[in-house]
Amino acid sequence: MIELFDINTLLFAGKWLLIGVIYLFLFIVLIAVRREMGLRIGGRERLPTEAPGRLRVRFPGGDSRLQNGAVFNLSAETRLGAGADNDIVLSDPFISSRHARMVWDGVEWWVEDLGSKNGTFIGEVRLLPMKPNIILVSATIRLGDVVLELLE
Amino acid sequence: MSSGVKRTYRFTEAVLLLLTAVTAMIGLFLLALTFQVREDIKSSMTLAQMVLPASILVCSFIWVHLLLSIRHVGMEQLLWPIVCLLLVLGMLLIWRLRGVEGAWQQILRGLLPGLLLITLFVLRHYWVEYLRRWAVPISLIGLALPIATAIFGEADETGVRLALKLGPLPAIQTSEFVKLALIIFLAWYIEKQGDKIEGRAVPMLDWLRMPSLSYFIPGTLFVILATLALVGMSDFGAVLVLAVLFVAMLYAGFETRLFATVVAIGLALALLAGLVLYFTWDVPVVIRYRFMAFLDPWSQEMILIDGQPAGITVSQGPGYQIQQAIYAVAAGGISGTGLGFGSPEYIPLAHSDFIYAALLEELGSIIGIAVLILFAVLLLRILRLALLLPPGQVFERLLCIGIGFQLFSQVFIMVGGTLNLFPLTGLTVPFLSQGGAALLVYMLEVGILLALVQRWDRRAV
Repeated sequence: MIELFDINTLLFAGKWLLIGVIYLFLFIVLIAVRREMGLRIGGRERLPTEAPGRLRVRFPGGDSRLQNGAVFNLSAETRLGAGADNDIVLSDPFISSRHARMVWDGVEWWVEDLGSKNGTFIGEVRLLPMKPNIILVSATIRLGDVVLELLE
Repeated sequence: MSSGVKRTYRFTEAVLLLLTAVTAMIGLFLLALTFQVREDIKSSMTLAQMVLPASILVCSFIWVHLLLSIRHVGMEQLLWPIVCLLLVLGMLLIWRLRGVEGAWQQILRGLLPGLLLITLFVLRHYWVEYLRRWAVPISLIGLALPIATAIFGEADETGVRLALKLGPLPAIQTSEFVKLALIIFLAWYIEKQGDKIEGRAVPMLDWLRMPSLSYFIPGTLFVILATLALVGMSDFGAVLVLAVLFVAMLYAGFETRLFATVVAIGLALALLAGLVLYFTWDVPVVIRYRFMAFLDPWSQEMILIDGQPAGITVSQGPGYQIQQAIYAVAAGGISGTGLGFGSPEYIPLAHSDFIYAALLEELGSIIGIAVLILFAVLLLRILRLALLLPPGQVFERLLCIGIGFQLFSQVFIMVGGTLNLFPLTGLTVPFLSQGGAALLVYMLEVGILLALVQRWDRRAV
């Protein structure tokens, strides 16, 4: 047998290969965990720049400039409210000036009510103020009388 | 769901499963090489004999992956690969220690029936609802099994009744089922009672709440009955797990202030029970040996009953098992002796209770640490799932927490016992140890978790 493929060499190589593969596995697991936790650990600067999501108007409420079926593009952090400094301005009379914000953490969309007067609803459920909540694609968000649907 | 849902492919899971398959192949290759060098190993076998069980193993991993992909589940891609990697490591050690027969036993009694259960739960995720509806009958059956075993069970060579033989079926270790039964029972009961239990304020101590007695009576009754049955079987490890589960699920289920009182009462009762036992009743010989071995593994002191030494490892002294485990860990060192080059066969029960010692010896502490990290990530994933489930689903969330704590407490107790950081009790290490019924129950629990993942995934909060 050639010296290179000596059985002891093979055993030694195999042993360390096994260790290497298992640690590669662990490494990928940890990367996946970190990606999912990105926002929750790192704060603002780690926000992913690309956010795959849009909001479609399902019911325009009291805002005469909104059209039913209109679509807004979302960025990784999008603020919604009646005030002009919001990313999406909704001038419904029941919407507070800083009403809610939506955050993409790399995996999920989160909606947070910013202490609005009339509340933010996912489906029928009213969100607790300042508590971010996961929202899944095709769920509806209601602010004041405006109903929005999350699209991909 | 609307048509806007992207067809998700579980890419991370696929990559991790590929690595798991590579691990299995390298491991088999190493084993085959080893058997060429060391012909003295009695479990020696050819590569051809290993190919079929190995391919069944890998195919079963891919099968669940495909099922989840077909169901368009996008979430939780780490749970299944971690379970698979642990299964592969366990199988490699079982192959090495017990030969092809051991591996087939594990596959036929644990893996394949378990795979069937996982398939059913993935495809019919609303079956969790049936668990809730029939929680009482299910948990009573789970409770009846160990009681029946304690009375009718088959005694093994040491006179301990652990396994129940039902007709033509192979004997099953029933204590595995009672843990899941307790989880289901407590989850159901806490969900049912949760709102009613406010607790009265204790005068003087405003922050403390006294629970009303009625809320922990059914759970306590369940635990007491199960404990009696398990003590009848002298399966003290399972008793310990039940106690951990009871406390963990009450903690998860009830208000923290209430829990402080429960813990105080529980500790006081445990202390009282210990004192009463100490002064009146004989502590079982097994437990006394375990403590003696924990305090001094090298001691040769024996317990004498009627002038004769009593106990299981009479010939080698009470600490024999732990001594051998310590030798094995020391022999393994950092990178291990290599699969098949150590001598874990000197450790009694190296294939089941002491599989972690065998792993440390042959694969080294470097992989031992990786396994512990895997278990920790597994627990975190399960707890994360419990947190992300909608708040209204108390039963489902408690089910997750119970399952997570069952797996983790067994790892904790067994690894601690193996390294002599803990008095030893007999339990299986989840997914690693040999044991058909145990693996079946773990697979069932994974099935329940994968069903719950879908419930979270498909729900528009």
